[in-house]
Amino acid sequence: MISQLSALRICARTTGLLAPAVLLVAASPAFAHRLEKHFTVEPRAVITIHNPNGKVIVRAWTKHEVMVVADHNGDKVEVNADQFGNRVDLRTQQLADMVAPDDLRADYEISVPEDAELQIHDDSGEVSIANVLGDMNVETIAAGVVVTDAAGYLTVKTVGGDFQCQRCAGRLEVSSISGNFKLLDLRSYHVRAQTSTGNILFDGEFLPNGIYRLKNYSGKIEVRFSPGDSFDLNATSLKGQVNNEAKLTPPAHPQKITNSKYGYAFGTFNAGRAKVELASFDGTINVRKRD
Amino acid sequence: MATIHCSEFANYLEPWMDGQRHPDAEAHVRECPRCRGLVEDLNVIQATAREWGSAEIEPPARLWTSLRAQLEQEGLIRQKAPQHNWLGGWFGVLPRPVLAGAYLAILVAVGFGVSGPVSTRINRARWLDNLHISTTTINAQFAPAVLNATSSPQQDSNPVVTASLRKNLGIVDNYIALCEKSTNEEPENELAREFLYDAYQQKADLLAQLSERGGNGR
Repeated sequence: MISQLSALRICARTTGLLAPAVLLVAASPAFAHRLEKHFTVEPRAVITIHNPNGKVIVRAWTKHEVMVVADHNGDKVEVNADQFGNRVDLRTQQLADMVAPDDLRADYEISVPEDAELQIHDDSGEVSIANVLGDMNVETIAAGVVVTDAAGYLTVKTVGGDFQCQRCAGRLEVSSISGNFKLLDLRSYHVRAQTSTGNILFDGEFLPNGIYRLKNYSGKIEVRFSPGDSFDLNATSLKGQVNNEAKLTPPAHPQKITNSKYGYAFGTFNAGRAKVELASFDGTINVRKRD
Repeated sequence: MATIHCSEFANYLEPWMDGQRHPDAEAHVRECPRCRGLVEDLNVIQATAREWGSAEIEPPARLWTSLRAQLEQEGLIRQKAPQHNWLGGWFGVLPRPVLAGAYLAILVAVGFGVSGPVSTRINRARWLDNLHISTTTINAQFAPAVLNATSSPQQDSNPVVTASLRKNLGIVDNYIALCEKSTNEEPENELAREFLYDAYQQKADLLAQLSERGGNGR
């Protein structure tokens, strides 16, 4: 009896474990074509990816090799992967004029050396990059971009895609029209982020001599600071509000306030080692003490 | 023999640069290498400043792209077969210097409007005039490309991308209207002008992308 109960429990557990897996398989697009290629590269290899629609997932590994696994549907597109010296080019090539969006889709999983340089163009879908320490340039229209544990010079440009950067340490320049930005646990000396209607959240360190410029048209800019941070703040919202929780020492040379009739906060927090510039047209700027 | 000293020559310098050359000053310049060097330097600066007013500077690629959309719509040029670098092929079709001049005028007007110092009432009025001229011209130039982008069927295979571009074009248009209103109300406000400039850049980028997609179909 006991053994029968155990068997039933095991069966139930197995079914419980298998069910989500079966659902995942059912939910994933069924790709008809798969390409897998390996390229041996030298240090600081350049990898370019041009994909109109689909996922681009890039991870770093310790090998001096680029591994590409690309899946796509049908015969209306093909994936080209070629090496030219120390550069690997990946491109989804449209073969027919009129292609349904699903037929245009290609998903990439790419493993690259840690010091690789990436240039990615992905119109829609999503881009995810982890542990790559080289410079990166990412351009999308609607695709969201998530970067974690990066250290190189990172430039990201989207039209409507969101951007999230976690534990990034290099120079960061990001722009969008309606994308939201989340900059989390950053250790960067130079951050420049600009979106029109998106929100910007900066929850990172203000490093000595660092420059942090965040700008939007509407939406919310939120910056979080710790009591030990040291920065010089210039926050202006032309037609919106600035809510500041930092106790600022007024600037030594008070500036003429011509830029805003509404919200502003100027001054120095602790020694003012970093420079923080926040600007919004009619959005709200919040400078909040970190919990 | 020089009739005046260097310190006295300084009094003749301003009329000199306007073309009024006193005989004593001419005699001094002939004999004094230091003042002659000064005059030569000022001549170079003056000539360069004049050139800045007439030089044809290369306009940014995005303006060529938005212009291409307009010309295609008017049937003045045809779509070329898809190619990796459409810009290279397209430059061969257009009378580039003429167009470059027209766009330079816009860029200079915007550049002046956006970054020029505004400290007096005259400057304020001048800035407003330039703002009006430049924004009217830009909007007129943008109009056909916008019409093309919003009314004609797009050839892009990806509706998500087309929808995103159009939605964001609407956002930028709204942004431009509000920024123009704000700069008209407060032309001395640098931040408002900066926002307006950003909005124009974004619109040009978006139109370029829409145009490129219409042209390439992918």
